[in-house]
Amino acid sequence: MIPPVQVSPLIKFTRYSALLVGMIYGKKRYDYLKPIAEEERRIEAEEKKKREELERIAKELAEASEDSILK
Amino acid sequence: MAQAAQKLVQRLTTRGPQLLSAAVAYSKPRLATFWYYAKVELAPPTPGEIPKAIDSMKAMVRSFQSGRLAQLTVREALRNGLVATEVLMWFYIGEIIGKRGLIGYNV
Repeated sequence: MIPPVQVSPLIKFTRYSALLVGMIYGKKRYDYLKPIAEEERRIEAEEKKKREELERIAKELAEASEDSILK
Repeated sequence: MAQAAQKLVQRLTTRGPQLLSAAVAYSKPRLATFWYYAKVELAPPTPGEIPKAIDSMKAMVRSFQSGRLAQLTVREALRNGLVATEVLMWFYIGEIIGKRGLIGYNV
């Protein structure tokens, strides 16, 4: 088998520092994006609730004002 | 129907281990080769190598300042570009580890 190449210390060093920097960057960015997404989800849920409430009221009003002898 | 199911189970119990041992037999020598090279080529720098790395980084900066960049051959430039790309990929692997998920930012 061909003997393994002796990789230059510079390449090894930059490789592993890039890995470490990437890990830190990923963690930081994740922690930055997480609360933003949570806030968005919360607002979305609130809006959905409001919309459903309005729809329910509209439906009830429509039913009440409907002319029907079946009531 | 029951007969077909029985047949399927029987096939699975006979073929499953066969396939598994075939997979092991296939990957074992390849993994051994991988480890043989990875142990030397993918190893992190030893503490003794870090000053050497910093020295060669300084030497690189100096050679760029003295106009080495204009004297690179296309082959050398291509090779250096590939090495730089490989190092960049290590950064992305680190990012994947840091965000703890392969696909995007699962926030």
